[in-house]
Amino acid sequence: MSSLDDLMKLEGADAAFTFNPSGELTAHQLAADSKLQPESLDLLAHTFVANIAIATLQARGWESATGQGGFYPVKGFTLIGLEYSTVGNGSCGVVLHNESADFEAAYAALTP
Amino acid sequence: MIKRILALDGVLGVCQFRDDGALVEGYGVLDEPLMRRMAKFAHDYKRMVQGNTDQFSMFTQLVGWAPPGGWIVHGERTSVCSVGNLVCFIDNAAASLNEVMGDMKEAARY
Amino acid sequence: MSVYADLALIDGVIAAGEYAWRGDRYHFKGQLSDEMARMASIMCRATTLSTHMQADILCTNIDSKDCPFSESHGWMVRGPQFSVCVMANTFCFVANQPGLLNTVFAHMRRTLMNVTEMV
Repeated sequence: MSSLDDLMKLEGADAAFTFNPSGELTAHQLAADSKLQPESLDLLAHTFVANIAIATLQARGWESATGQGGFYPVKGFTLIGLEYSTVGNGSCGVVLHNESADFEAAYAALTP
Repeated sequence: MIKRILALDGVLGVCQFRDDGALVEGYGVLDEPLMRRMAKFAHDYKRMVQGNTDQFSMFTQLVGWAPPGGWIVHGERTSVCSVGNLVCFIDNAAASLNEVMGDMKEAARY
Repeated sequence: MSVYADLALIDGVIAAGEYAWRGDRYHFKGQLSDEMARMASIMCRATTLSTHMQADILCTNIDSKDCPFSESHGWMVRGPQFSVCVMANTFCFVANQPGLLNTVFAHMRRTLMNVTEMV
């Protein structure tokens, strides 16, 4: 898993953060011009925990119902906003500008 | 009808919402902007629970789960409970969850 | 041609489709059975509804002009071999090939980012 410094080097990174299994924010870094607050990152962290749990349920159900593997274990979740997206996996997340976001690089950086 | 629910022990607020999430009527300690937010939240949460229940039924092929009758989020001191298009929040120490859910179920039929 | 049909033509895309916000209607193209596409539609709609609620909650708690997720426009989930990208009511199942997820996102962003009407 990359450090927060490494995650901030991703193209278009606005924030990088870590969280515990409950979704509480444990550490973060913000870009100099970021408008995000730690409280917002804490909420984003909770959305990762919730969505990865639901995606895991879906991956398990899908694989057992269809026999098609390849979704479990879930390796990350992304929430897409108008100008920004946030990519999370494990205990880390990063906020990226959509214009320059490289999601594959973000997922690779977030792989433990 | 929903005013009856407010009269139960431990019920702090109750409201009814439309299928688009708009507030129909609400009573209790919340002011109107907060009541509108509660209606919107309950509507969104209802649809989310419906989605999760649909998936559970789809994957397990079990009958008797969908459509869901309601939901409860049980907090440390307060809980939010919903049946149909009604939602209320309660003080855990003062309210009987069974009584509240029973009356909500009855009121939701009207 | 509809967005999902365009997406299904991209090399490495397994299937793409669209679902109705309410009810059970769906359309798709690609390597899924009809039943799998129905299930995919139910799953994608459930997660989309959930992300809309989350974005609303997020921005209720942040000064609205600074909220980066004032509305949820979509989501992605990554598996070991496949990923799913969803924007508006269109879903796309893709193989984890280098460059493909970014290509699919760019196409969906260009065509679906401004869709707000929930049909």
